[in-house]
Amino acid sequence: MKKFVVILLLAVMGYYISITFFDIGFGDSHLVEGVVPVKDAYLNETVNSLNVANTVTSIVVNFRGFDTLGEVTVLFLAVTALGGILYKKRHQAGERSVLFSASKVVTSGSKLLFPAIVLLGAYVFIHGHLSPGGGFQGGVIIATGFLLMLLAYENFTVGHNTLSVIESLAGITFAGVGIWGLIYGGSFLENFLPVGTLNDLFSGGVIPIIYIAVGFKVAAELTGVIYTVLHEKG
Amino acid sequence: MVGTPVLFVAIPLLAAFLIPLFGMIWKESVRVIPGIVLAYLLVLAINLMNYVMVNGPIVEVIAGWAPPLGINLVFSAFSGFLVTLMVFLGLIVWMYSYRFKRNVDFEPAKKYFLLLMMLITGSVGMVLTGDIFNLFVFIEITSISAYALTAFYTGRDSAEASFKYLMLGSLASAFLLIAIMIIYSQLGTLNMADIGSKMHLMKPAYKIMAIIFLFTALGIEAEIFPLNGWAPDAYAEAPGPVGAAFAGIVVKAAIYASIRIIYTLFDLSGAYDLLIVIGMITLIVAETAAIRQEKLKRMLAYSSIGQMGLVMVAFGMGTEEGVFAALFLMFNHAIIKSLLFLSGSYLVYNSKDKLIKEVNGIGKFLPITSFLFVLGSFAIVGLPPFAGFWSKLSVLTAAADSNMLLIIALVLIVSIIEVVYYMRVVNRIYFFKKDESVSTQRPTLNALIAMITLGAIVLIVGFYPDAVTGFLHRASADLMDKAGYINDVLTLN
Amino acid sequence: MEDTLFKILDYGVYGTAVLVILIGLYGALVKRSLLKIVIGLSIIDSGINLLLVAIGYLKGGTAPIFSPGYLDNPKIMVDPIPQALVLTAIVIGFGVTAVALALVIRLYRHHGTLHIDEIRNLKW
Repeated sequence: MKKFVVILLLAVMGYYISITFFDIGFGDSHLVEGVVPVKDAYLNETVNSLNVANTVTSIVVNFRGFDTLGEVTVLFLAVTALGGILYKKRHQAGERSVLFSASKVVTSGSKLLFPAIVLLGAYVFIHGHLSPGGGFQGGVIIATGFLLMLLAYENFTVGHNTLSVIESLAGITFAGVGIWGLIYGGSFLENFLPVGTLNDLFSGGVIPIIYIAVGFKVAAELTGVIYTVLHEKG
Repeated sequence: MVGTPVLFVAIPLLAAFLIPLFGMIWKESVRVIPGIVLAYLLVLAINLMNYVMVNGPIVEVIAGWAPPLGINLVFSAFSGFLVTLMVFLGLIVWMYSYRFKRNVDFEPAKKYFLLLMMLITGSVGMVLTGDIFNLFVFIEITSISAYALTAFYTGRDSAEASFKYLMLGSLASAFLLIAIMIIYSQLGTLNMADIGSKMHLMKPAYKIMAIIFLFTALGIEAEIFPLNGWAPDAYAEAPGPVGAAFAGIVVKAAIYASIRIIYTLFDLSGAYDLLIVIGMITLIVAETAAIRQEKLKRMLAYSSIGQMGLVMVAFGMGTEEGVFAALFLMFNHAIIKSLLFLSGSYLVYNSKDKLIKEVNGIGKFLPITSFLFVLGSFAIVGLPPFAGFWSKLSVLTAAADSNMLLIIALVLIVSIIEVVYYMRVVNRIYFFKKDESVSTQRPTLNALIAMITLGAIVLIVGFYPDAVTGFLHRASADLMDKAGYINDVLTLN
Repeated sequence: MEDTLFKILDYGVYGTAVLVILIGLYGALVKRSLLKIVIGLSIIDSGINLLLVAIGYLKGGTAPIFSPGYLDNPKIMVDPIPQALVLTAIVIGFGVTAVALALVIRLYRHHGTLHIDEIRNLKW
């Protein structure tokens, strides 16, 4: 009975969402007439005043950097919440809830791949302002490297304190750059460094600095999440 | 000016990232730093509030991009008033729970103060922000802290309550994103003032879709019927001070967001009627549910939901008197319900089920706490000369001015129901014989100071309501002035 | 030919996204296992993200990146804002899912089951 009510409700909702979006249209400019969208200004300002090649990065870190600060905080809170919710009965390092022995091929292969994965992650977040990618993506790639090692080696440990220090320092860098901008530039997160030339590694002012901090933070936090859940006693 | 509104977000975030580092050196810092931060923010809020009352709203841009390009924060008489209230209540809750868990090595106790600080920061951000996607981010910051704080006790069914909250909360964020998408696809902007100035260009069908999704999403956070299924459980299972923070801070922020959206973003006159209808249903359903509750905190939770319904009704009148009444109700509810939660959780401190019948005769053993609870009860049902009386009176006069007799009748009936279930508890506290098996817990000194401060405010506002009405009149005029808000934000360079 | 393709895409992309959202909602509202509910919630997130990215698409648009050589030979670019918003939405969705799974672990530890009817102590 409940199922049918839910299906009916979903059908009605689906119908209305679909007709709204079909009506809006896919792939054209669907704005109402006479409106100048913000994106035009973003696309112009990114090249002209920030000298950042990747517009998405300039939006994420500079124009809407406040959102990103909040987003990083959400991740930080998720890790904190995880620690708070699952605090009891934690296994010691090396004894875990999921136990399995990986074969020699997997262990050697992981060891071989791990530095490459970390390098790729670092590349992605350092070049976040030039090419697709950025702090979040690079951080996730690095965390997958740690996930691989945790799966391959039963006794692979990551220092909990180390992760927490990296996390904190990266967060302080982000918030600190913001406050520095407030003091020397006049508004929070304002760019206070020279912007360089377009498509140079050293360009875009504070954007690469913030994205590198975000990369470290995301990598540490995701690794922390994996590690906490893996060492949970059922 | 001594500071800028962005510090309300930047300083707690900086502190949140610093706390793990300081915690390694000095363990007490996990408790002390949030208190220092909140105290500083209170000073800042009062200073900025004084500035705003003289010089008009402060609009702050972030990253140096004037709206609509960058995100902006608006500290006006309305939002500033709520921010001051929230930070003050946050400090009270912090003080109350300072010795809550003595052992700092106890891991959740380390997280507790951090999460509490972030809960307050998220709510303050929701109120200050002038950008609709930024609002979403702050709602998520608030929600994640709230889930974790709800699941604080492992002994109770708190994880279940928290999971329920999380389910509804993620539906809320999904709906909010759909609404943001519809608006963005039409207007190409995310800035609230910009949206407000262009809203008349949008097709009515899209407007209705957007407002339905926005209202559903924010209704879940603001405990509006029928989306409030999470609230009674979350209040009952969370630690007492967290319940106070939910009632006084989180819900207020959600109400602010929905009101800002209806008053400033949309120009639909039907939305006001929707507010009145939903508010009335919420009020009736919640108050009739409250009278049936056997657990003290669930009763308080349903009463809180009912009061939010009344606030919605008052906002739905759409007149300046209505807004004034709604703001007065919000202020009183924040103070009084926090007092009730804080004192109530000491009344049922050691009991497992937190039943109402376990407070029998406790008045002799915990005289001050009981007195404060009774004071709160009298105030919230609206007995003169306590604070709640003036807000209910202003709702009634506002309703009379706009000839809404149904509302007047409803408020009076609901007040009688409230009297019944609050006086039932008061009666048990003083006139029943104490059950010997129930042990009592004396409040700690800091908890006592926190509760007495709130009690004193209830009395001051009760005998001298002019202490806050000046601010409230300015705040309500500020909310009604849509053109002024848009102008303030968009002409900034 | 290209027109028909875009017609299919027109309904296809939004239709798929809405369908994914509905599947997720169905899972979250009807299924009785906590883990399936969490999976449903993450499916909703995926659908929303798909919808959000699709809003920003422009026919024939390139990625909003000014690579070397682009400025001499500019084409239209897709809308970068939804992409930035999706990044935020994904990260937030991850955080919520992590907290949800932690709560599931705790409920399992407490009750020894993931079935929602057997752990209902509170009213749902």
